[in-house]
Amino acid sequence: MNKIAKLFITFISAITLTLATISSSFAKVEDGMIVLGSAISLTGKYSSNGVHTQNGYNLAVDRINSMGGVKVGGKSYKFEIIYYDDESNPKRAAQLAERLIKQDGVHYMLGPYSSGLTKAIAPVTEKYKIPMVEANGASRSLFTKGYKYLFAVLSPANQYLEVAIDLAVEKNGGKPVKIAQAFEQDAFSQDVRLGILDAAKRTGSKIIIDDKLPKELNDMAATLAKVKATKPDVLVVSGHTKGALTAIRQISEMKVDVPMLAMTHCDAAKLSKQHGKKSEYALCASQWHKNLSYKDKFFGSGKKYDKDFKKEFGYAPPYQSAESSAALLVFKDAFERANSFDRDKVRDALKATEMQTFYGNIKFGPGGQNVAKPMILFQVRCKGDTCENKVVAPTKWASDKFFHPIPPWSERG
Amino acid sequence: MQKVKQKDLILYSGLIILGLAAPYLFSAFKVQLTYLCVLIVLAMTWNLQGGEMGYNSFGNILFYGLGMYLTASVQVGMFFPLAEWTESGGEKTFVHTTAQYFQGIGVGLIVSAIVPALVAGAIGYAILGLRGHYFAICTLGLGIAAGEIAGGIEIIGAGQGFTTPPFPAEIVDVEARGKFFYFLSFFVLVLAFVFVKYIYGSRFRLILNAIRDNEDKAEAMGIQTMKYKIVGWMVSAFFCGLAGGIMGGLIGYIDSTDVAFDGREMGVFMVLMAILGGKGTLWGPIIGATLFHFFKEGLWTFILGWQYVALGVLIVVIVIYFPEGLMGWLREKYPERFGEVIDEKDRKSQVELK
Repeated sequence: MNKIAKLFITFISAITLTLATISSSFAKVEDGMIVLGSAISLTGKYSSNGVHTQNGYNLAVDRINSMGGVKVGGKSYKFEIIYYDDESNPKRAAQLAERLIKQDGVHYMLGPYSSGLTKAIAPVTEKYKIPMVEANGASRSLFTKGYKYLFAVLSPANQYLEVAIDLAVEKNGGKPVKIAQAFEQDAFSQDVRLGILDAAKRTGSKIIIDDKLPKELNDMAATLAKVKATKPDVLVVSGHTKGALTAIRQISEMKVDVPMLAMTHCDAAKLSKQHGKKSEYALCASQWHKNLSYKDKFFGSGKKYDKDFKKEFGYAPPYQSAESSAALLVFKDAFERANSFDRDKVRDALKATEMQTFYGNIKFGPGGQNVAKPMILFQVRCKGDTCENKVVAPTKWASDKFFHPIPPWSERG
Repeated sequence: MQKVKQKDLILYSGLIILGLAAPYLFSAFKVQLTYLCVLIVLAMTWNLQGGEMGYNSFGNILFYGLGMYLTASVQVGMFFPLAEWTESGGEKTFVHTTAQYFQGIGVGLIVSAIVPALVAGAIGYAILGLRGHYFAICTLGLGIAAGEIAGGIEIIGAGQGFTTPPFPAEIVDVEARGKFFYFLSFFVLVLAFVFVKYIYGSRFRLILNAIRDNEDKAEAMGIQTMKYKIVGWMVSAFFCGLAGGIMGGLIGYIDSTDVAFDGREMGVFMVLMAILGGKGTLWGPIIGATLFHFFKEGLWTFILGWQYVALGVLIVVIVIYFPEGLMGWLREKYPERFGEVIDEKDRKSQVELK
């Protein structure tokens, strides 16, 4: 036992020494670099969207760096991002945020993917007074906590599909509709649900199916069987990428006829590509679409961004990438206006942000949410075998008319 | 309790001093150190079932998650309406005063130790009659079911999760929160160690071992095995609950399946750590947890995206080369250091015979 104890002590002291050498602090701005930190989901259930987010960040970093970087105090600085994989797990994300701040000396953070993870990280960044610009945490409750260092470039989750219910009521001649809904049990999707509940109350519509879907989402046949039996006017599904893919797969397999299908994450799931004609007529909430007429000097227009992104990563950018790129533009703008690396000055500059990016206008409300940008709805439409996402609402940007009702499967080729 | 030997005393006081000094020596690593303490507690208490009693439980995560939700609920519920706190994903904001925060977490932790222990007693009564794989599968189901059920209970935030009370803003020192949770977890670790060490020197451990080695024989010898199995599980549940309560406060956000009833990670890790170090030994789980944590924190980030592949390789290596864990391997290599006497003559004569 004693020898073992000695061995153990040796082992501990070895680790102690190693730790002591590593723990010397790093600087956040060195050699003309502004180091940002981000915990991102590279593995786990959010991995596909995590990668979209990371690609968005990287594209913007390259673009800003190649176009002269960030000018602070007459000197030009380049962005650099330290990434960690949070494994789609809030526990890990909170721990990594701490690690980025305490061990890597990061003074400015970029958000993770998903509301749940942002909820886990925000208390940490808040505690250390680290400004965080996040692009993928849309849960409404993030913006009511009085966080002072959290800034979101996207619209809150409850706004995602509210408009869809209004649209359904409008198509129903102004009369209330019957809503069937199924949401994943996670912070974001449940917030989308809150939005639907509000809209239903407002329009007097009735919710006839209100299901919860598990996090490892790959089957919703039970909900769809109920939909088949009760014939609602609208079916609303939200469950990140997997939710969108599962819904379309099973709706087409089970030949569920419903006049209107509203979803989230269609573009992140590359729905129109993966499922082609089966996904036609799906109505999707989106933070961004390439056809919108916003502009900035780094990416030009949405169409240009779409092209550049495709060239770099080989697929069309979903809105998750676009909003992530926008987060970097916001940081750059704030640094230059603050003209300082003082965290509180940067934070004040962020607070005063009022700018246009290719992704949309950005202005932060008191809770940190972006109040200057509306949500849009697009519908998957097909010509022959090629399917595309066409903007149908709001009318300002609508390229196509909203097609309603969805023809029954018996008439679809 | 048996007399602590003088050399052991030096070791223990050294470790305690190291433990107390750690947050000052490695200020930047406080959170990781807190995790380490919690992991050791989980591995050590899992070892009571898996190692000593031979009942491989995947369900200890149930008590961990329960403790987490209970601590947070009590901490909020003592001062504010819990339903409003969690409504709509926690939109309403209530602020704990410093006194409220610490009172809340104190009472919460007490509750989160006692209730899981009682739950373990009740569930144990029902399922500890199962043996071997049946018990393992059943407990695996318990953890998963608990996660799904918790994800449907509105008052604790359901699928939107539960944001635990933030550390009181009146305490300006940003290091205070890290220190608080570290010392809390270190205290629980010491408590758990003293208790487990006490068990190791008692008849209780021998009974657990008897159950592991041959339960029927133990029963035939007049040991009420059920009683001891239940008590053993309750002890684990007690500490798992405490560990969960601390982690909930530290993480700041409880999600039903990813943080609280996180069987896929914590639930598996605690088994892995105990096996890595050597189950059925006092120091094995501690060494296992420490090594595992360092492996995870050190290597994880260098192999972004491949960490689970590396973990898989690690498991394979453990199973093939260290089936008895590190302690078991050391024991085989240096049996004399573990107080096992080998008769050299006898050994040689046996070799020669072959």
